[in-house]
Amino acid sequence: MIRARVGTGVSLAVAGTLAVLTAAVAQPGAGGSAAGAGAQERDFLSRVRRLTVEGRRSGEGYWSPDGRRLVFQSEREPGNPFYQIYVLDMTSGDISRISNGLGKTTCAFFRPNSDQILFSSTHHDPRSKQLQDEELAFRASGKERRYSWDYDTETDIYAYSEKTGDLTRLTTAKGYDAEASYSPDGQWIVLSSMRDAYNRTLTAGEQKQLETDPSYFAEIYLMKADGSGQTRLTTTPGYDGGPFFNHDGSRIVWRRFDENGLIANVWSMKLDGSDQTQITDFGSMSWAPYEHPSGSYIIFASNKLGFENFELFIVDSAGTKEPVRVTYTDGFDGLPVPSPDGRQLAWTSARSGGSGSAGQLFLAQWNHEKALEAIRTAPPRQSPKKP
Amino acid sequence: MTYPHVRHVAAALPLVLSLLATPGWGQPVAAVATRTRAHVTALASDRTDGRMSGSPGEQAAGDYLIAQLQRIGARPLPGRSDFRAPFEFTAGTKDGGTTLTLECAAGRAGCAPRRFAVDRDVRALSFSDNVEVTADLVFAGYGIVVPESQNFGYDSYATLDVKDKIVLVLRYFPEDADPQTKAILTRYSDLRYKAMAARQRGAKGLLVVTGPNSPNAGETIPMSFDTALSGSGIAAASISAPVADAIFGSLGDASKTLAAAQRALDSANPHVAGFAIPTATVRLTPVVTRETRTASNILAYLPASTGTVSVARPWVAIGAHYDHLGHGDHGNSLATKDDAGKIHHGADDNASGTSAVLAVGEILSQATRKRNVLLQFWSGEELGLLGSAAYVNRPAVALDQLAAYINFDMVGRMQDNKLTVQATGTSDAWGRVIEQANIAAGFDLLLQPDPYQPTDVASFNQAGVPCLNFFTGTHVDYHKPSDTADKINYEDLDRIVEFAATIARRIVDLETAPTFTKVEQQADPGGGRAGVRVFTGTIPDYSTEVKGLLLSGVIGGGPADAAGLQKGDIIVEIAGQAITNSYDYTYALETLKIGVGINVAFTRNGERKQTTLTPGARK
Repeated sequence: MIRARVGTGVSLAVAGTLAVLTAAVAQPGAGGSAAGAGAQERDFLSRVRRLTVEGRRSGEGYWSPDGRRLVFQSEREPGNPFYQIYVLDMTSGDISRISNGLGKTTCAFFRPNSDQILFSSTHHDPRSKQLQDEELAFRASGKERRYSWDYDTETDIYAYSEKTGDLTRLTTAKGYDAEASYSPDGQWIVLSSMRDAYNRTLTAGEQKQLETDPSYFAEIYLMKADGSGQTRLTTTPGYDGGPFFNHDGSRIVWRRFDENGLIANVWSMKLDGSDQTQITDFGSMSWAPYEHPSGSYIIFASNKLGFENFELFIVDSAGTKEPVRVTYTDGFDGLPVPSPDGRQLAWTSARSGGSGSAGQLFLAQWNHEKALEAIRTAPPRQSPKKP
Repeated sequence: MTYPHVRHVAAALPLVLSLLATPGWGQPVAAVATRTRAHVTALASDRTDGRMSGSPGEQAAGDYLIAQLQRIGARPLPGRSDFRAPFEFTAGTKDGGTTLTLECAAGRAGCAPRRFAVDRDVRALSFSDNVEVTADLVFAGYGIVVPESQNFGYDSYATLDVKDKIVLVLRYFPEDADPQTKAILTRYSDLRYKAMAARQRGAKGLLVVTGPNSPNAGETIPMSFDTALSGSGIAAASISAPVADAIFGSLGDASKTLAAAQRALDSANPHVAGFAIPTATVRLTPVVTRETRTASNILAYLPASTGTVSVARPWVAIGAHYDHLGHGDHGNSLATKDDAGKIHHGADDNASGTSAVLAVGEILSQATRKRNVLLQFWSGEELGLLGSAAYVNRPAVALDQLAAYINFDMVGRMQDNKLTVQATGTSDAWGRVIEQANIAAGFDLLLQPDPYQPTDVASFNQAGVPCLNFFTGTHVDYHKPSDTADKINYEDLDRIVEFAATIARRIVDLETAPTFTKVEQQADPGGGRAGVRVFTGTIPDYSTEVKGLLLSGVIGGGPADAAGLQKGDIIVEIAGQAITNSYDYTYALETLKIGVGINVAFTRNGERKQTTLTPGARK
């Protein structure tokens, strides 16, 4: 999921950078200082706190439409080293698993006006248990694999019914289908898919590309909530992923990597794929965009300040202004998601270090007025300096 | 016995004080009585006189606790009629007249034995056995043995046979070694550690002299506060330079002096060996007088409300130490000169934690309980976890009957919603329990798996009980008379109480008790901090994890203060050594010289700055 796993595709593309990139996600990064950090962050964030404790890592928390629950992924299932999907009740503190415990899952999202929650899963793969056992044996051996996302070609999108507990499979194409989310009316799903690598004859160059970095083939698709009418919206080479509808469902915001998988930027387009507009231009890895429910600005993560130092930024939804930095704390900060009332922010961070250094879910109060003010006074967007 | 006076005052206070207090985040400013203010105010009042273990002040605080326990319906433990559980401890040591006689070697004409006496020329070490020993001397350099596991070859005894001898060693560690070597050797240079090394090699006695190239050169060592009830299995004393000179002089070799011996050793060359001094036969008669006193833990319980208890491990224990430093006379006070000898109120340390136990107990007393709840208030914590150690050695409720132990130590100074929970590594069950409880409580949690903490949770970890400790961080008033009740953050203390009560209730009701997980202790620092001879006046903030050493304050008038360091600064480098955590800092300190300025790099508001800090001498 690249909503969470920005490092991987890139690192696979450029041999030797894997360690550095994954370290960025795995450890508190360099740069930024802790003492002054608290004060600067408090402009936007207050009551910062770690939500998840159990398990090796947790992240990608998305709000229920009523703002009372979060659905997230976590490595905490006994016997399964991979992510499973959990729903957290913010009132009682109860946490329950909604995926079936088997295989790899990622990228969940509540369907508005419905009892459904979508997520991607590989559990239909008959090798699932075997892959789990192999990974567990590997970890038990004391070896530590660099954190990586393998874009399992079995990854498909499912809708889970909270009423019946049934799972409905929405995609079947070979190739990774994930990073999906619903439109505000619950009628549409936007997703990222690598199916283009498998549904046509590849050139020799493309075949090599597939072996080193399949995410190169990821494009944005739109479909109805029942999985019908799957339509491709992007055709640009390089990883297009992490799409979400904007506040009123009129546009899609997502992040687009360049062909080399080194630079990513936030983009916005209409639902038919037209009017593709670049929102950021840091010349670094800017990703995980999500529009604030006010529609006034997009919050995203970027490593503009240092390769290992992902911080959160906000930018006006049209991308006319220079983005404003939000977080100032050592350690990975990414995958920001504002609550439906726009007053809270859930995100994934490694800031707590120690047992939380692989990333856990965080929550804070969000100062929307301050954000509006910062956007209003931000200077016009600058292009990155060419090296 | 009740506290009518205090309770009356307390009833009126919350309204006034909560209006004065800074409101916590997100909390409405409401003049409501808190769960804890009355308790803290009573326990940290002048009347309890600093709650020194074994003192009338401790007794008064205990009376308050017992009255409160009775109020909430807690009972003395099964089979007992008293809430108090007394234990004996050593309240102080002094030298009761140690002597040392330098005998003449057999057949040496014209020689008269020379007798030396306390305090100027000889003084027992506080942990010495009171046993007279007579033997030939062996000089064993600095008397340092680095364990083989450290992969660092240094053994002062490598070439020496000290069986049935008295060993003479230098205090401290090689003075001119490079910083890395010093950092290792200093861990094994504590006097107790040196005594252990000598004893393990069969020596009957240990003499320590402070070499001319070291601080406090030639002086006997003041008797330190030591709470051990008995000796260390060896006769041990420090001697003055004149005594050492007489011993070396007996060799009749002008090249063999204490100064020359120290010079040869000070580069820490591991091949420089000690040597026997067969011409010196010493009779050492150490006399350590230990004053024994009695302190009391306060123990109570709330019986399970379900009648018969059918769950495994049918007890949950909740505790805190209620003792403090009295007037700060035992060497652990950080009072400035102006404040020395005044009442150390210990409102945060640990009237806050004590109050939390009472308040959690009160909440649990009104709930249904599948398990019995043990409420424990420790004395002797400030002297070295004495009360909880005494309990664990002779538990009133068998330790294998405990589902968990939950401790509070310094929980009254919460800042920025940060709560440290320690010892979370003691059970796999803690993650889920803490996660769930904190979703409603909403603390910015710092979780520390390590149970080897300087508080009573360590005693229960040692006993194999899953445990937790709550902590809100240290501050400028730590171990000073200024740690007073008016500085406590009661709103957040109440939130901690509710958070902990949720966790305790969860454990009380669990069908399956948490399983204990052993956390491996970090590399044993051996002699601990004995090697730190310098005073910098920094107050580290251990509750926030940063790269470097975050200061929660500096001691006014101390070297750090003089260097311009202040609260919020992060020390990242000392004398060219990178500082990434508090251990680095401690080791770096050990290598500094008193009175010699060193360069300190720090960050303030993200900006790197430099200053010169001149360490003073640690008393």
